[in-house]
Amino acid sequence: MATRCRFENNNEVGVFSKLTNSYCLVSLGGNDVFYNIFEAEVGDQIPVIRTSMAGCRIIGRLSVGNRHGLLVPNSTTDTELQYLRNTLPDSVKLQRVEERLSALGNVVACNDYVALVHPDIDRETEDIIADTLKVEVFRHTIASNPLVGSYCSLSNQGGLVHPNTSTQDQDELATLLQVPIVAGTINQGSELIGAGMVVNDWCAFVGLPTTTTEISVIESIFRLNDQKPSNITSQMRSTLIDSLA
Amino acid sequence: MASFYSFKNITKVPSAKEFYNIMLSKTQRQTPTVIRRHFKISRIRAFYMRKVKHCQTRMNERLTQIITEFPKLDTIHPFYADLFNVLYDKDHYKVALGQINIARGLIDNIAKDYVRMLKFGDSLFRCKRLKIAALGRMVKVIKRQKPNLQYLEEVRQHMGRLPIIDPLSRAIIICGYPNVGKSSFMTKVTRADVDVQSYSFTTRALYVGHMDYKYLRWQVIDTPGVLDRPLEERNLIEMQAITALAHLRAAILYFIDITEMCGYSIKEQISLLDNIKPLFTNKPLFVVCNKIDLVKPEDLNPEAKELLKGIEDRGIPILYMSTISGQGVMEVKEAACERLLAHRVEGKVSGRKVDSILNRLHLAEPAKRDSKERPAFVPMVTERTEPKKTARERINEMIMKRVEEEESDTYHYRTIDLTEHYDINPEYRTDIIPEIWDWHNIADYIDPEMFQKLEALEREERLREEAGYYAVPKIERDEMREEIRKLAEQIRERKAIMRQEAQLNNNRSHPRPTPVQARGRSLERFKGEMKRIGVEVDSVSADESKANKRSRSRSLSAAPAKKVRFESEVRSRSRSRSKPARDEAGVDDPELKLKLKKIAKKALKKKVGKMGLKGEADRFIGTKNPRHLLAGKRGIGKTERR
Repeated sequence: MATRCRFENNNEVGVFSKLTNSYCLVSLGGNDVFYNIFEAEVGDQIPVIRTSMAGCRIIGRLSVGNRHGLLVPNSTTDTELQYLRNTLPDSVKLQRVEERLSALGNVVACNDYVALVHPDIDRETEDIIADTLKVEVFRHTIASNPLVGSYCSLSNQGGLVHPNTSTQDQDELATLLQVPIVAGTINQGSELIGAGMVVNDWCAFVGLPTTTTEISVIESIFRLNDQKPSNITSQMRSTLIDSLA
Repeated sequence: MASFYSFKNITKVPSAKEFYNIMLSKTQRQTPTVIRRHFKISRIRAFYMRKVKHCQTRMNERLTQIITEFPKLDTIHPFYADLFNVLYDKDHYKVALGQINIARGLIDNIAKDYVRMLKFGDSLFRCKRLKIAALGRMVKVIKRQKPNLQYLEEVRQHMGRLPIIDPLSRAIIICGYPNVGKSSFMTKVTRADVDVQSYSFTTRALYVGHMDYKYLRWQVIDTPGVLDRPLEERNLIEMQAITALAHLRAAILYFIDITEMCGYSIKEQISLLDNIKPLFTNKPLFVVCNKIDLVKPEDLNPEAKELLKGIEDRGIPILYMSTISGQGVMEVKEAACERLLAHRVEGKVSGRKVDSILNRLHLAEPAKRDSKERPAFVPMVTERTEPKKTARERINEMIMKRVEEEESDTYHYRTIDLTEHYDINPEYRTDIIPEIWDWHNIADYIDPEMFQKLEALEREERLREEAGYYAVPKIERDEMREEIRKLAEQIRERKAIMRQEAQLNNNRSHPRPTPVQARGRSLERFKGEMKRIGVEVDSVSADESKANKRSRSRSLSAAPAKKVRFESEVRSRSRSRSKPARDEAGVDDPELKLKLKKIAKKALKKKVGKMGLKGEADRFIGTKNPRHLLAGKRGIGKTERR
């Protein structure tokens, strides 16, 4: 189920939230509308946590996490870290990372099994990612862009990548990640997939202007609402051609 | 995309009168207004030139705006170009804009001429007449544009109300004879609210509605009814339908009323279809038989059946439906959309357009690289005590709560209780842990084995205590030491007392400086002192020494002592006589003099006493400007005090 929402007039949902299979972080805002949307949608299954990181609202871009753990940047304050530790389930490991590329959300994309990382990331950080998040780590780019976290969105069932990713790259990524991959856009043509949406294994949140075609691609590739990835090439082919070309 | 063909944003075109009134008032308001005859002539000329130029620039700007804002028929989509031709007459439209363009040039020329003439103006009067003439001529040019401006304003108003049709997007056009049920189909499938009536030509213009199908947005265009007659004889209403049919690459639904209740037989309706067939080439065409709730397709007379079969034989699919009962409506919609979509996709695939998006039509399936299973993980839904709320309900609740709080008397800024969702022992939930304590960052000391470490420390401490590690050793004191100690104590006590006493006596923090004393000087003392040190001093007379003291001269000769001067008997004529004192002058009678003196003294006393002065010469004025008398507003007629 994909839900359209926005954070205080900003449609970059992935910037202000982080959704995984065992917890959900949302940014502390002026009001709780954004939080309430998440709470209503996934609150039954996982805790929805309002937090800031290093006093910033852009928690989705600063942190990276999956079902097993959460990595936060070095600039996160002690109080925030303690608060997160108190709120997260015990099964989730929490770790602060000393990394020059401190916007971890932009440089790492992961699901519960595999992570793609920026080619310039530290060796130590790579180890921490592998240990804390329990994933295989691959240094890779998406559409020759090193910011893998910004330009793709992953779940255990599928992945959406930058619209300019070539067919070979998509195949390569699919084999690395072991999930079906499709290239697409979000928020009415935005290429910043990671910033525009958050997804886990049973639901997704996208920005308000996202078109029906984009949503249907998302629902198919991430197997939401009982859709199948193969729909994209079969049922939706003509729709896609007509709306894109 | 759709907004590209929106004509709603054209600025209002003022009527000729409004136009020149605006321009003249702008000139008046936005240029200097004061000029005098005695000013330098160059200044006078510049003053009037500025007015003329200003008026011209403003007019030019506004006319340019009109010309650029109206769409150019040669550059817009042929559908709109043709529609404008039908609605507003292309020639008229072009001529109107052309005339405006000419007027703009004329105004520019007038301004140029008059500015040139103003350069030779030799007086204020002449310059002013030239300016008046220039503005007058410009106004006259605008006045001549009255019909054009009026026409353009009407066109603008009509354009703004045209439906926004995107000619390049997906569209389905409904056409047919009047009164066959086109508009009622439109209201069925879209949310557009089109007037449906039982008489012909209810729809007199193009209407557009939107519907969703297959994740796409579709335009449905309702056209006015078309009659079967040659193109030249068609009226304006029909021509709009024809333009839409001719220029939009859309699916066409040709409606046929099989009951013939619209007043036209099936045969006539089919002949119209044949007549306008050239418009449908290369477009998906459907014949839709409407009103099957009244006459079933099976019950049609054989002749009609034959005609319809003839159509089907030509490859045009026939669909049956009833807008009243809703039977078949969705099938018609789906069939039309599918055919049109297939048609459009075919066109795009055969061209080069698809190549650029091929990667987005590709689904990359993973090739197995190991035997590891990577299943999805969806946690169980936890049981809730209260019923589940939707996002909308939650947000409404939140707003209600906030409003309630804001209206209550004890409103204070509400902070969110973030500890609400703590996943720890509820006993510790509300514990307040300071961030910094005793100059230490608490977080630095938090350690998973904190409690074990604390326990170990405590155990060690206990052991030490038991072992007597902290017991204070006793020190033996002999007699001698004891005595010294006592003495020292006494000394200290005494010292303290002394300090306190000194403090009590001397309650001044700083010592008072000794005042400088005047040193007495006398001859006797001088002599005595000199004697004491063995110096013989000559006995000098006191008078002499005194006289010497004042003199600055170094000469030893003494100045002569002062003598009593007597007034000479014979006064020199050259010397003036001093005047008598003012209070004594003028009155000879000593009695009167005394009296006057008394009066003057009394007057003076009065004055001095009243003003609190010290004497006649005291010129003291207490407060020069008393604030309470001078500050603040002046009331009515109060000029001296407030």
